[in-house]
Amino acid sequence: MSASEVNTQLVLPLELIDQCIGSTVWVLMTTSQEFVGTLVGFDDFVNVVLSDVSEYDGDKNIVSKRSKMLLSSRSLAMLVPGGQGPV
Amino acid sequence: MSEITSTPVPSSEPLDLIKLCLDEQIFVKLRGSREMIGKLHAYDSHCNMVLSDAVETIYYVHDSQSGEIKSKTKKSEMVFVRGDSVILVTDAANV
Amino acid sequence: MSKSASSTAAATTTSSTSNFLSEITNSQVIVKLTNGLEYVGILSSIDGYMNVVLENSKEIVNSTEIRTYSEVFLRGNNVLYISQD
Repeated sequence: MSASEVNTQLVLPLELIDQCIGSTVWVLMTTSQEFVGTLVGFDDFVNVVLSDVSEYDGDKNIVSKRSKMLLSSRSLAMLVPGGQGPV
Repeated sequence: MSEITSTPVPSSEPLDLIKLCLDEQIFVKLRGSREMIGKLHAYDSHCNMVLSDAVETIYYVHDSQSGEIKSKTKKSEMVFVRGDSVILVTDAANV
Repeated sequence: MSKSASSTAAATTTSSTSNFLSEITNSQVIVKLTNGLEYVGILSSIDGYMNVVLENSKEIVNSTEIRTYSEVFLRGNNVLYISQD
């Protein structure tokens, strides 16, 4: 398998996140907390900046809404592109 | 490596606040429902700290039915606090 | 998105976390810790560990204010998020 063959298929994880900038993402934490908001940006640790964020608790209730936030990567588990939030 | 670590160096960094507290009475909130007040002798970048004449207050649920909270205190002439248990530091006069 | 477009986007977005931090420095913020405590105050400084100093801050548990601090240091490992108030 040559490198060029692979490259046409390969989507690096951070590239996927990069493509989500400007669109809605659903963020799941290692705890039962979840966040839904528009992805503004992220850094190498995948600390993420979100706008128009809804914060959900473990029972899937909205506990707060924030205009813009920096969410620490420390307990971030999963980013779902276009996610509409807990179902 | 990450941008967040190369944030344009602020004129003051957070640990400067602890530097200002050297030789002062400080209030420290710790993991495990503990708080400590004492005179700050030394600290490092991990927030490891040495306090003297420290009073530690430990909160615990006395009665799980009513949820009644009680506390007990421990006094130490000199104590080393490991940084990883630190949540919050402030000048004791500020509380 | 073309390869070149995504790489330029990456170049501009690598600093978006620090941009956000400089944007909100000296303004009113909410810091939520992993243990659920919230601190509302003026963000006076922050570093790469997300250690934070807040001025005139309120400590909030379950939407009730329990304490105020004129100046307080929060250790970065406990920070869940930092939000514009």
